[in-house]
Amino acid sequence: MSIQHFCTSRPAFIRTGLAAVALIGIASAVSAQETRTIEAANGSIEIPAAPQRIATLGNTTLPFIDLGGTPIAVTAESDSDVSRLPQEQQAVYQAATILAASADEVDMEKLASLAPDLILVQVPGGEFEQIRQQLEAIAPTVFYSLDTEWKALADGIADAANTTEALSAQKAEFATRLADIQQKYGDLIADTSFVDVNRWSSSDPGTFAIADIGCSEIGRDEVGIDYPEAPEGADPLAWTSYSFEQLGELAQYDVITYPVGADGEPTEPFVPVVETNTWQALPAVASGHAIGLFCPGNNSYGAVLQYLASLDAALATLPAAE
Amino acid sequence: MAGVIAAAMLLLALLIGSMMIGSTTITPGTVWDALFNPSANIDHFAIRDFRLPRTFVGLSVGIALGLSGALIQALTRNSLADPGILGVHAGASFAVTVAVGMLGVRGIESYMWFAFAGALLVTLMVLALGSTRQGQSPVVMVLAGVCIGAVLGGFREALQLGNPDAFDAMRSWNAGSILGRPLDVLWPILPFFAAGIILAFAVSGPLNAMALGDDLAQSHGVKLTRARVLSVIAITLLAGGATAIAGPIGFVGLMVPHVARWIVGPDQRWIFAYSALLAPSLLLASDILGRVVMRPGEMPVGIITAFVGAPVLIALARRRRVSGL
Repeated sequence: MSIQHFCTSRPAFIRTGLAAVALIGIASAVSAQETRTIEAANGSIEIPAAPQRIATLGNTTLPFIDLGGTPIAVTAESDSDVSRLPQEQQAVYQAATILAASADEVDMEKLASLAPDLILVQVPGGEFEQIRQQLEAIAPTVFYSLDTEWKALADGIADAANTTEALSAQKAEFATRLADIQQKYGDLIADTSFVDVNRWSSSDPGTFAIADIGCSEIGRDEVGIDYPEAPEGADPLAWTSYSFEQLGELAQYDVITYPVGADGEPTEPFVPVVETNTWQALPAVASGHAIGLFCPGNNSYGAVLQYLASLDAALATLPAAE
Repeated sequence: MAGVIAAAMLLLALLIGSMMIGSTTITPGTVWDALFNPSANIDHFAIRDFRLPRTFVGLSVGIALGLSGALIQALTRNSLADPGILGVHAGASFAVTVAVGMLGVRGIESYMWFAFAGALLVTLMVLALGSTRQGQSPVVMVLAGVCIGAVLGGFREALQLGNPDAFDAMRSWNAGSILGRPLDVLWPILPFFAAGIILAFAVSGPLNAMALGDDLAQSHGVKLTRARVLSVIAITLLAGGATAIAGPIGFVGLMVPHVARWIVGPDQRWIFAYSALLAPSLLLASDILGRVVMRPGEMPVGIITAFVGAPVLIALARRRRVSGL
């Protein structure tokens, strides 16, 4: 049969088309049925080899999107967190179905109707136990406890969601950026006392916090910055609200880091701090040793890379580094 | 008179203490220099920018709460009444929750006006509901205040449960605090406080007569409806303003007039004078305690007054015959 005959003979064309469709269908079905087993905080879970319809609950949403994933359904993220995402990631988040404000309020019928083939969850353990059976009845559910370190969470999500290539690229960039910062500023960091101060929209009026969690944890643990931290077993320093009159105590530190937005300006909740006379009179502030750092998040490589880029640029402005 | 002078001295000591005591103790000399010979010293900034406004706010809010408490107890002839019984706190809290949770209002400077408006609106409703053919009925007003307060409290809880961000944003206000309130927050409310204080002392005489019974008061030329309406307006201006600035601080308006009555007897003019001196003393003492009790953090003054207030209330209730109306 010539090509011309094939193209003009209608029955032959249709037969071949149907056969192709059937083959693709069979291949897809086989692929969909292919499974693998992963280990998670809720045990050994059998999940699709290449999940296509992933729902993310709790803290898994932003790390999954950061890995290039496209969740079909999510629990809501705060407006401020979403606003700090790159534009394309904001679009992915907004295209997903918002299930509820938090995991324990998820409308299970709505989630089931979206037919996810994998559910990723990171919420408090007690909250997960309340919804565990319902989630597992809908789709294979992978749970990460809250004490999962951010790199382990990224590894776990990439493994479950089959986005390990993206993760490898991020890890390589992270290692390069970190080595670069340590090479450029290693001596400065070693000889300098730092303090990271912060203020959130939920902070009480007239108060600020000394941050030792979030991005300051990255700065301390990954970069080696000498940030104050709570003693072992004690509550994080960030949980204590200091009144503005205690801003004067920051005078003992060589460098003060504070939160800024992507535009480099102090974040809105932090503006009242920088407007105080006490802040402006601090030796570090007056001498240009107060540096703003952009922290879009601390539980995924993409966000941490943005923080490191901000840190790199900020350290370069310190008089000692010039 | 000696008692008033002693109360005034106590208040003066606490005003100075409020300037000296905090996260760090600052010497009287430094306080003096900060106020009258200021420089770019960090301690001077701490005093002028934070402790001075906080002390003024504590003084003003304390006077307002004390006088409004004395007024409500005299008006209702109930020595265990406090300004919240007319729905002032509930109205203010509900309005702030709506402002923060539904309108996205942030910052005490913005939502304090919602609090004030909420307190005013609820009190006007209470006043209207308390109007009978015979005039204003304190009992009906109190019942109306309690009922409206319960309804608004339910709505407020529902709104806060559905919007955790709103709950977070107004957590400090809800607890009752004078931390982080700059003088810019106080100035716009001061005229309302001044009007409330003038009204309070203006009705103290008629309230004395009304304590003897409506018929006797009328025979002394007291216009009952006018006295009651003016009292409610004064309570609203004072308690509404105080709640707008500091959030709902309980027990001060309840305890202090009670103590004042215990000291000076049933004369409302003296009760009001003592309340205006002792209430800010209690508030400032509680605030100072809140600054040092869990260093390096602080405890909101509303929590300290509640801690102090609960046992004192029990003790006072047991002494009812001594300080009853």
